[in-house]
Amino acid sequence: MIYLDAAATTLQKPVEVASAMAQAVRQYASPGRGGYPPSAAAAELAFCCRTELAEFLGAAGPEQIIFTSSATHGLNIAIRTLVGPGDQAVISGYEHNAVTRTLASIPGVETRVAATQLFSREADIEAFRSQIDHKTKAVICTHVSNVFGYILPIGEIAALCREREVPLIVDASQSAGVLPIETETWQAAYVALPGHKGLYGPQGTGVLVCGKESRPVPLLTGGTGSESRLQQMPDYLPDGQEAGTHNMPGIAGLYAGLRFVRRVGTERILRHERQLMKQLIPALKRVPGAEVFVPECGSCHAGVLSFRLGGKDCETVSGCLGRQGIALRAGLHCAPLAHQLAGTLETGTIRASVSAFNRESDIRTLTWMLNNL
Amino acid sequence: MVYYLIVCRSLTYAQRTAAVLERAGISAHILRSPAAISSTGCSHSVKIAQRRLAQALMVLKKVELSPRQIYITEADGSYREVRL
Repeated sequence: MIYLDAAATTLQKPVEVASAMAQAVRQYASPGRGGYPPSAAAAELAFCCRTELAEFLGAAGPEQIIFTSSATHGLNIAIRTLVGPGDQAVISGYEHNAVTRTLASIPGVETRVAATQLFSREADIEAFRSQIDHKTKAVICTHVSNVFGYILPIGEIAALCREREVPLIVDASQSAGVLPIETETWQAAYVALPGHKGLYGPQGTGVLVCGKESRPVPLLTGGTGSESRLQQMPDYLPDGQEAGTHNMPGIAGLYAGLRFVRRVGTERILRHERQLMKQLIPALKRVPGAEVFVPECGSCHAGVLSFRLGGKDCETVSGCLGRQGIALRAGLHCAPLAHQLAGTLETGTIRASVSAFNRESDIRTLTWMLNNL
Repeated sequence: MVYYLIVCRSLTYAQRTAAVLERAGISAHILRSPAAISSTGCSHSVKIAQRRLAQALMVLKKVELSPRQIYITEADGSYREVRL
C-alpha cells in the first residue's frame, strides 16, 4: 500500500509509538489517582509529555496543555467557551466542519467568512480586517488548509486579533509537526491539534493548548483526582478540562511520536514533504485533463494538494487507485467552505497528502497509475 | 522525621514544583496529600526536608509557583499548617 492520506491520519508511525503504547497498557495505571508505582509512572509520563508539548507548541507551561481525544474535541471546547448563543465569529474560508458545524450548533450564531480569493494571503488578511468588528467574539482560523495545503498568514491574522482585542482560535490540525506553532507569540486563546497526524501519535489523541489567560469551560465534567469533595470542576488547568480516566496508551504513543518529530526536526520534515510536492505537482499537471489546486508560492504550501481529472468522478478514481494499492482521499474532505472557494463544491477533489514516511518512488508510482487509468 | 508538605492545587503543579526544586538541588517527592490536610478532597503535595523550606520558597517564587498551603509534621504524626 502506498499511503498518501496523511492529512486524514498518518498510517505509518515510528516503531517506538506502538511499543510505547504496549508498554503503557502493561505498566501504567491512572495518573494521580493513587500513590503506588504504576500510577506514579503514568503521572510522570503524562507530565513529561505535557512539558515537551508545551515547549514544542510555544505554550506558557505544561498546565496549559490539555489532552483531548482529537482536534475536533479541542475546537469544541475552545469555540463553546468563547462563542455563545447569538454571538458573532469570524472564520477563514478554509475551515473544517469541526469549526463550522460547531458554530452552527450554537443557536443564533452569526458566522462571517473572511474569504475573497483562493490562495491569496494579502486578500485573506484584508478579508479578516474587514470582517472583524466590535461584535466579534472569536476569530477561528486554520493554519493549513486540509484540502489544499495552503498555509494561511496566521502570524498576521494573530497580530490583527491582538490589535482588535479579539480572541484567536487556531486549528493546527495540518500544521503541527511541520510548521512552528507559537501559541504565546501569537497570543492565541487556543490552539487545537490532533495527535495522530503530524505528531505521529495514535488515533484518539489530541491536544488543546490554552493561552496564558484562557479559562476554558469544561465540555465534560467528572472525576479529576483533585478537590473531590467539591461538586464543581476545578477552575484550574489542566484538571478543569480533563475529567475521567486518561488515555494513557494514547498519551504514551503521542509522546513517542512527538519525540520522533523533535528528533527529526519539523524543518526537515517540511522540507521532505515539500520536495515530494515539487515532484508531484508538475507530474500531475502532465496527466491529461488534470486540474491541480495548489498555491503559486511554494513557501505558502505544505504537504497536501487537491486535483481533479477532467470529467472523471473523484470517488471513482480514488476507489480505482485504492484497489491498486494507492490510498488517496476523494470528496469534500469535511471542508465544504474550501471547496466553495475553489469552485469544486459540486465535484469534490482527490487529495494527496504526504508524511515523513513517503518516498519519491510513491509519487512516481502514483503518477504512473494516473497516466494509465 | 520532620518534613514539610507543600500542598499544590493540581498534580501538574505538584510535578512542576518538584521538577523546579529538584533542578535547584532540593530533594522533592510527590505524594497524595494526607486526608487530614486535604480540605477539599484529593490533592497532591510535594515533600521536602525541614531545612530546605526557605530555599525552596525562594526557588518557587522565582518561577512564580505559589504553594497553596504548607504543612509541617508534628512529633505525634499530625500536621500543622505553616503561615508564611
